[in-house]
Amino acid sequence: MKPVLLIAVNFAREQRWPILTLLLWVLLLAFLGLVTDVHRQREDLLFVFKQDAVYVLAFSVFFGGSAIYNERRSRRILGVLSKAVGRQQYLSGLVLGVTIACGLYCFALGLTGSWTLGDAGFPISRVWFLMVCLVAACALAGTVALMFSTFLNPFFAAGATAIVLGLPALAGQLLGPRWGYVIPVWELGALVVNSSFGSPGKASWFPVVLAAAETLAFWLLSARIFSYVDIAVAVE
Amino acid sequence: MRFVLEFDNVTKEYRSFASRRRLRALDGFSLTVEAGEIFGFLGPNGAGKSTAIHLAMGFMRATSGSGRLLGEPFGHPATRRRVGFLAESVALYHRPAERLVRFYGALNGMGGIHLENRARQVLEIVGLQDHANRNAGKFSRGMLQRVGLAQAMVNDPELLILDEPTSALDPLARVMVRELLLHARNAGKTIFLSSHLLSEVELVCDRVAVLHRGRLARLGRTADLLQAGEETEIVVRAIATNHFDGAIARDGVVSFFVPSQTQRAALEKVWTLGGEVVSVNPRRRSLEEIFLEVTAEPPSSPAVGVS
Repeated sequence: MKPVLLIAVNFAREQRWPILTLLLWVLLLAFLGLVTDVHRQREDLLFVFKQDAVYVLAFSVFFGGSAIYNERRSRRILGVLSKAVGRQQYLSGLVLGVTIACGLYCFALGLTGSWTLGDAGFPISRVWFLMVCLVAACALAGTVALMFSTFLNPFFAAGATAIVLGLPALAGQLLGPRWGYVIPVWELGALVVNSSFGSPGKASWFPVVLAAAETLAFWLLSARIFSYVDIAVAVE
Repeated sequence: MRFVLEFDNVTKEYRSFASRRRLRALDGFSLTVEAGEIFGFLGPNGAGKSTAIHLAMGFMRATSGSGRLLGEPFGHPATRRRVGFLAESVALYHRPAERLVRFYGALNGMGGIHLENRARQVLEIVGLQDHANRNAGKFSRGMLQRVGLAQAMVNDPELLILDEPTSALDPLARVMVRELLLHARNAGKTIFLSSHLLSEVELVCDRVAVLHRGRLARLGRTADLLQAGEETEIVVRAIATNHFDGAIARDGVVSFFVPSQTQRAALEKVWTLGGEVVSVNPRRRSLEEIFLEVTAEPPSSPAVGVS
């Protein structure tokens, strides 16, 4: 477990600049909370909150899709995998790293959302539930991207991830809402996006649990694929 | 005799997905490295040296054949706890040198005060104790190579696999690395050293293998390879150069080479002519000569072993 944690923390540390850039958006929400009348402009605040939530989903795909590529291109992966670290552990570290990176952002967003939206009448417990949904969605989206990045470059990995995550959503629209839960990233995102002051919605843990289980499944699949990859071959 | 590294008829092919071309980097490669020796691994660029090392470290899989590292099949993560590795192009995370070494040590299961002390110790060994708190991202290539050596040694490995460890080092640092390798061998460690610096290899390696186009072209004890020439150099005084073919006069002495089996006859001729023998030595070749000889051979030549 120790190598997994070390790799995860190291990954989050390496992503500190994108994370800090993301946090600027949270700062914007906090700024709006300070300078506006939260009761009169609460819909605007909720809009910015939702916007911030969607950004982190996109970044989770970016984090997951580029992690292995960057490590292989810089050849830093050789230093890590020359130690007593298995490839499965290495991927676990990256999945956890993506989750930590997105989790930090979601925590900051949750704090700011509790303060600004809470003042405007949005249930604080609902804010934190949405953040848990968001972290689960990020972990799953990041893991799917990571799986594709074991054999594709980041651009194609991101494209393939978008297709895999988008197809169930499309099926959900065309064939019935159950199909949306096949890979529930979209459904989890929709919980955040469809929230409103009038109907904050019911807290269902089903998609969160499903996302956690699918994260595990995609991680196992990634590890299987990654065990066949020649990591010392130049990725360019 | 205990083998710490074994390649058994290993072949590695790289396949290009786009052009469907195949490149055979290793071709039926077999080699054993004994415990407690410094083993030199030579070959021109593209000979397959790094491929062999990467297979041993489990970074890639062989197309056919197998190998063992410290008794376990290649790619066994727990075995790497007993191995130190330095890659050809050192790539490290940008953080202070001591924290970096501690990070790599922790990946090998080390921790606590032992790891802190060991990190400081290895940085001192490679001469970076004054730069322990400097960010490795701001280091020169030579300094990076030294930190790379420090991270390879932090777990006090039984086997050190070093791919070009001195390529970016100045002469002083090279001497430091040479002494470090000899010290490690005296402590019972095994060192597998891939290098283009033939003079370095000649000085420290007990055995040497030369790889050429994916095949083992030479293998033997360094001393035997260097003296494998069938000629003897005779240096004499007080005779003319015209008595022996190819004799050269320099600084008051005459030197010439004769086949080893005619050495006795040549010495008797010198004495008959009234000359004085100064020295008789087997002709010593340099690794560079052997290297050039091997790389000039066609690739299908079988491996030539001395021992």
